[in-house]
Amino acid sequence: MTRWLDVEVGNDDIEINTLPSNLALVDLHNDNEYKLLIGDLGKGEEGPKLKVFRGAMQLLDLPLPDLPLGVVGFYASDTVPRIPPVVAVAFSSCIYIYKNMKLFYKYYLPSIDLSTSESEIWKQIMDPQNHNEEVIPILTENLKAVPHKVLSAESRNFLSMTLDQQLEYVEQMTEMPSRKIPEVACITTLKMHSIERQSVSCLVVGTEDGEVIVLDPHTFHQLSIAKLCAIKRTPYQMVTTGLYNVDYRITVATREKSVCVLKRDWSEGRLLFATDEHIVALEVMPTDHSVLVICCDNTLSCYSKKGKRQWSLSLEHRPVALTLVPVVALGVTLAAVALASGHVHLYDAKARRDTMFVKDAASVMKFGQLGQEEHVFITITKSGNLMVKILKRTADFNAHAASVESALTPGAGTKPWFIPKKSKLFLEQSVRERENPRAMHQKFQQELNSLRLVCARSLLQAHERADNCVAAGALNAVRLAAEVEGLGPVFRVTLILENTSPDKAAIGLAILFHVPPANYKVSNPYIKVPLLPPNAKLQFPTKVEEIFEDANPDVFFRTVTGEGGERSLVKILLVKEGRTSPVLAATVLMPPTDPMMLPYEKMQQGFENMALEAMEA
Amino acid sequence: MGLLDKLSVWLGRGRTEVTVLVLGLDNSGKSTLLDALRPPEQRVHHSQPTVGQQQDHFQSSGVSFSAWDVSGAPRHRALWERHYRRAHAVIFVVDSADHLRLVVAREELELMLAHPDMFGRRLPLLVFANKCDANHALAPMQVAAALGLERITDKPWHICASNALSGAGLTDGIAWLARQIRDLHIQHH
Ligand SMILES: Nc1nc2c(ncn2[C@@H]2O[C@H](COP(=O)(O)OP(=O)(O)OP(=O)(O)O)[C@@H](O)[C@H]2O)c(=O)[nH]1
Ligand SMILES: [Mg+2]
Repeated sequence: MTRWLDVEVGNDDIEINTLPSNLALVDLHNDNEYKLLIGDLGKGEEGPKLKVFRGAMQLLDLPLPDLPLGVVGFYASDTVPRIPPVVAVAFSSCIYIYKNMKLFYKYYLPSIDLSTSESEIWKQIMDPQNHNEEVIPILTENLKAVPHKVLSAESRNFLSMTLDQQLEYVEQMTEMPSRKIPEVACITTLKMHSIERQSVSCLVVGTEDGEVIVLDPHTFHQLSIAKLCAIKRTPYQMVTTGLYNVDYRITVATREKSVCVLKRDWSEGRLLFATDEHIVALEVMPTDHSVLVICCDNTLSCYSKKGKRQWSLSLEHRPVALTLVPVVALGVTLAAVALASGHVHLYDAKARRDTMFVKDAASVMKFGQLGQEEHVFITITKSGNLMVKILKRTADFNAHAASVESALTPGAGTKPWFIPKKSKLFLEQSVRERENPRAMHQKFQQELNSLRLVCARSLLQAHERADNCVAAGALNAVRLAAEVEGLGPVFRVTLILENTSPDKAAIGLAILFHVPPANYKVSNPYIKVPLLPPNAKLQFPTKVEEIFEDANPDVFFRTVTGEGGERSLVKILLVKEGRTSPVLAATVLMPPTDPMMLPYEKMQQGFENMALEAMEA
Repeated sequence: MGLLDKLSVWLGRGRTEVTVLVLGLDNSGKSTLLDALRPPEQRVHHSQPTVGQQQDHFQSSGVSFSAWDVSGAPRHRALWERHYRRAHAVIFVVDSADHLRLVVAREELELMLAHPDMFGRRLPLLVFANKCDANHALAPMQVAAALGLERITDKPWHICASNALSGAGLTDGIAWLARQIRDLHIQHH
């Protein structure tokens, strides 16, 4: 049984080429009908676009000036009534801010002066004397010697040219590049002072220079700026947790096979952990801030918030995408991992809870509210199709739920068995056993046999005596008592059978309940009594449920302390094999069911019956 | 004498009520629809989502209806089944402009039809393809196909387009329902 409902998507005209960071679910019109925003990179002739989907239906197609790096939606102001959220689309050179899907502001990162060595080289490049085929290559080499990461975009552009292009370029140059504009690497949002859905967020920008900048959502002034790490690290994906004004963590996957973390009041981030291979994607569990990463070495790993590796799973194929699947109603947050083979596995920690298959393999995944539906799983396949699945309300991700295969392969990852240390006693015994095994075995067998003999003998004895007693006729020595417990409608009736005879056992007895079937249901109306040894007591608890099928509504008005009346008389018979009349009989007057415990529907029905009767009368 | 008046005669001139369950996803328009069925002076124009359930009594062409308007919010949908046994008929409201959640509506409808208290009972099922005025609203036949109504064999069913805000389409649907209830009653006697 699948846990997902498939939404039919008319796929014919949808072809999307995008990145995970370019998907956003935004309540664009503040009507609790979430839209899907996709920054589409375009393909071939098609340029980059911002697409807006209502469900699986495309509403809007906005051309973009450059390849989008990230799309986010957030509330920029606290005013009541709420102004719909703004949308930010990041490009490497700047960030476009849209209000009501209209371009409203372009944000550029503040420029930085060129490094002295770079500007020295440019001074020489600018010198007309040097504009020849001998000197330019030397200067190019000098420029190459400057660390690539600190080079300005112009220098990098210059380095990628052929010599002819460079000569042409320097001829046309009028002004030497003086400042460099930092480039955006990734963006995300961070709530300012409240975790509420519509509370204000600030924009967090990661730059190619390895800095993390937090921007005021209203004025786009820098609220803070910090280096990601002491050694240069380039952010690639950022996940924020917490609140900017209270306490927050920005967990960042970098292109240098490491994850860094930046906290409030830190002027510089720290390395959290390094991975063996490149990181494909990162997620942070909201509960304990543990970090999940999928890497190019086909692993899914979990690190504590301190950066200690807790577990790692090896995946059958190359992982392509990772997204969290929080199911609030079930109180679980699963991690969905898409593999190049087309499988999408859902993990609860390292236990696999569900698997889906995507025909032409997923490339981007997103889980969240779409339209009015809270639990929507969105996939963009490798060939650019949109796939939408809705989690069933009745879905269950328990370990015991059907169709769950355990991800735990024996040996790998399982806890070792707990085996206690060998005790001295054990060691000595095993030595003795090794020394004379034959004698020990014989002794054991002998004693076992004699024990069996003793058992058989006493059973036979008991049997004989019991038979005598029965033969004598009356079972004076057997007593029957009953106890009733509970508030109802389910009561526990415990029958206590006692054999007071000092030397005779009773056999072949059985207990039979005799109840009005319209009023009571007995879970076990016929109980076979085992051999009752002399001077022994046996208890037989049985559930007796009061039922109200077509009950007279008066039943609901009995007093709690009073008695149940005629309808609640229960007879208990003690019968014996081979005898036609019961040996003993007892009657139990059942207490009335506590009105507080009455099933509501039954009562309702009782009243309806009453109304009908009144009408017929 | 109109059909609904005949029905009320059988029922002893409104001395008892026909219990209808009004079900459907949240925001499908159940409460709005019930409101539109009341006489104009009794309308309340509530715009909040229903919490839990509320009972509504209204007269329609001389018939007294007792309608259970049960919240369609996911965490309240488990309450639906508590009302199944007492229902004489079901009105299932679908937002025909919410294409995304048609599969959810279908799933909930199937769960209801398969419930032990419903399965095999010949109670009439009226489906309102509501919000027919909204942009991109699907036609009733498309909604019927999306819900898989053609597969229902144990109950008489009917679908019609409705606009709960203006009241268009409601009387046709309710007239069908009343006819069904009367027919079922005749078969029983
Ligand atoms: N355009 C249009 N809007 C409608 C129609 N019917 C209802 N609505 C609107 O849909 C919204 C939800 O209506 P409700 O009646 O509260 O929905 P409900 O099914 O009772 O929802 P829950 O109580 O949450 O289960 C309201 O804003 C109504 O105004 C309709 O026929 N057309
Ligand atoms: Mg409602």
